Amino acid sequence: MKSKFMLLLSVITLACVLLGSAMPANAGKINVVTTLTDLADFAREVGGDMVEVRSLATGVEDTHGVPMKPSFVPILNKADLLILVGFGCEHAFLPALLEASKNPRIQVGKPGYVDASKGIAPKDVPKSTDHYQGDVHPYGNPHYMLDPVLAKTAIGNIYNALVEFAPEHKAEFTRNRDAYLAKLDAGTAEWKKEAIPLKGLKFVSYHEHWPYFAERFGMVYFGTIELKPGIDPTPRHIEELIASMKADHVSIVVREPQFPEKVPSRIAQQTGATMVTLPIMPGGVPNTETYIKMMDYIIKTLVTAVQAKQ
Amino acid sequence: MRVIFALVSIFLFSSSVFAQTVEDRLQALEKTLKKQEQTIQELKALQKTVKKQEETISEQKKLIEKLTVKAQKSQPAAEPRAVAEAQPVAAPDQVQQQVQELKEQVEGVVEAQRKEVPSVFNPAIGLVGETIFSYRSKGSTATGSDRAGGFDVNQRSVELNIAASVDPFAKGYAVLNASADPVTGEATVGVEEAAIQTTSLPDNLELKAGRFFGEFGRLAYIHDHELPFVNRPLVLDQYIGGESRTDGAQLNYLVPIEHYVSLTAGVGQGFGDAPIDTGDFDNGNFRPFGGLSFWGRGSTSFDITPDLSFEPGISGLLNPKTPDRGGVLALDNGVPVTLPQFPGSTLRETERSLEGVDFVLSYKPLSSNQFNSVTWGTEFLRSDNCYDVIPPSAGAAFTPFNRSVDSYGMYSYLTYKWSREWSGGFLFQWVEDAWNNADRTFSYSPYITWATSHWSQIRLEYTHTDPNAVSGLRSDDAVYLQWCWIIGSHAHGWQQR
Repeated sequence: MKSKFMLLLSVITLACVLLGSAMPANAGKINVVTTLTDLADFAREVGGDMVEVRSLATGVEDTHGVPMKPSFVPILNKADLLILVGFGCEHAFLPALLEASKNPRIQVGKPGYVDASKGIAPKDVPKSTDHYQGDVHPYGNPHYMLDPVLAKTAIGNIYNALVEFAPEHKAEFTRNRDAYLAKLDAGTAEWKKEAIPLKGLKFVSYHEHWPYFAERFGMVYFGTIELKPGIDPTPRHIEELIASMKADHVSIVVREPQFPEKVPSRIAQQTGATMVTLPIMPGGVPNTETYIKMMDYIIKTLVTAVQAKQ
Repeated sequence: MRVIFALVSIFLFSSSVFAQTVEDRLQALEKTLKKQEQTIQELKALQKTVKKQEETISEQKKLIEKLTVKAQKSQPAAEPRAVAEAQPVAAPDQVQQQVQELKEQVEGVVEAQRKEVPSVFNPAIGLVGETIFSYRSKGSTATGSDRAGGFDVNQRSVELNIAASVDPFAKGYAVLNASADPVTGEATVGVEEAAIQTTSLPDNLELKAGRFFGEFGRLAYIHDHELPFVNRPLVLDQYIGGESRTDGAQLNYLVPIEHYVSLTAGVGQGFGDAPIDTGDFDNGNFRPFGGLSFWGRGSTSFDITPDLSFEPGISGLLNPKTPDRGGVLALDNGVPVTLPQFPGSTLRETERSLEGVDFVLSYKPLSSNQFNSVTWGTEFLRSDNCYDVIPPSAGAAFTPFNRSVDSYGMYSYLTYKWSREWSGGFLFQWVEDAWNNADRTFSYSPYITWATSHWSQIRLEYTHTDPNAVSGLRSDDAVYLQWCWIIGSHAHGWQQR
């Protein structure tokens, strides 16, 4: 029996090796893997035809809860560059995947490990990481991508990584980056104008996704439905939140599509606030496949909600 | 004369002492100077860095000033919106925006440099505790409990986990476990795992060495507190002896294709807590090559849909034929196993192998995988056990003979998660005794889990075990309440996914 088992194992190994050697190469393109879809969008825009980009997330997942699929392992194994949000955003799935990938090029500290948060001052850096604070991020709030200005720093980091990896294509990357930044700048200017009615508006959300966004567009981030990061609300917390929202005239409840609708909807009903469902990365809801489309969607949805109330 | 001699002696002695002191002082001074030189070098390097940063900031400031001037100049010549759209760079609003953003960037960089990360632990340390409150009508090893029947509170384990990089090429980890003796309840501290694992071997290879849980099957290398139910499946308890702990080395190979295929092979001294007496092969004693255990595993995965995945695997374990092994089969309490039809016989193991097939089918909707999921896991094992039946004395009614027993066992569980906090499921188990395949045990266990957070969960489980005429086991009912908690660092490992 054992000899049969060993034979079977040998046959499988041989078949795999033969299959492996038969796999086509990626036609000389830079193999970029990103954790989330916003980073994939930026990498495509900056890298242009020189890159093959794959995102582990499809857009509908929670940024902290992308399932650890074995199918991600071969993708990471072949990556030249791994681009991540950083600040511990991917702590729940990336370290284990990185270890399983057996790709020395993209391990922490290697040039292929591209932390897009480099140069960004994080908000809400905790003084303690005691779990009393919930699943708190020791490096600070990682959801800076929802601020289109900070996203430019991430784009800069992606550009630097691409140039370092393939300096011969610097001119093309520079051209692509500048063109995209111009589009993003124009978009940001437009969003700021559109968001004038949002100034001073108080809102709550399910998870702490929005502090950077709120500051950029002058909104007031009132609190979260979650008791603490990663901890579902208790009945008492919901009661207290409802009471304080009523007292402070909080008019918007943001529900991220990754979280159940029931509690945000009940809170909105009981406080008279409007509930809106907003994506946290491109592809989170239909027609938000790119970063610019997503930001457009977020601003328009919020403004429409405010105007409908007036 | 004596005085002169004494004075000369004193002079010579003191001068030598003085010389010694001067030499020491000189050495000390040299050391201090060297240190100061080193410090100066470091300060110079720091100065360079600061200068560079100052230059960057001053460049950014200049750029800001330039853009501000540009903005002021372009202010009176502001064009209608259509023109501004055609030439976005020249628009004063955008220039001001750029100035503002640059300011923020500069401030951000400065701020980012000032920020301190409060808890970058090296090494990462975590502690896991697990307490079990239980009631069972009949304690028996055949039902997965080696504790007596009745009400019971058992601090099953307290695990200290430590992990860190060893160097740029490897990481190390250790799990120290203080577990309660199943009979006396006395806590004993032991090294459950302590291993080094490479992180940068070429050709998709990874080598692990030390004491670790060898990769065999689906749940054998998972720690107790990470199981989807309270107790380790009976088939793993009986065929492997619980967790697949070994002292050895294991090589893992990720096949370089676009589909996930992982192959593992290992060799070690012992495997699990197999209920055999290893005779002369205790630690520190000479062990022939055949006295080692060998194992292998292959696993793959298929994404049937984005939400549905299927992960099958096959495993094999071998204790090669070792006629001089002399391992006498014994129960956990040390009493030698005997065949009822041959009274007084003892069984001496000669060869043992295990083969296993397993799979996990899991449905995890991408958008709500933390709130909803269904997992179906199943593992089949076959145990091939060869042993000599030895008569009690030379004049016994039978002569020594060799016997081989093929036994089978399996477990299958289905867990449904309906919120971030709540999940429930059902576990079915069937196992034939490894030494007597007519001795079959069936058990059924519904369970429900309340995870108050990532770090604390309470599980209630009921287990019914059917009566067994062969082993004399009476119908057994047990209720377990398990509380697991974690403090400190807790990594979500690849194997625990």
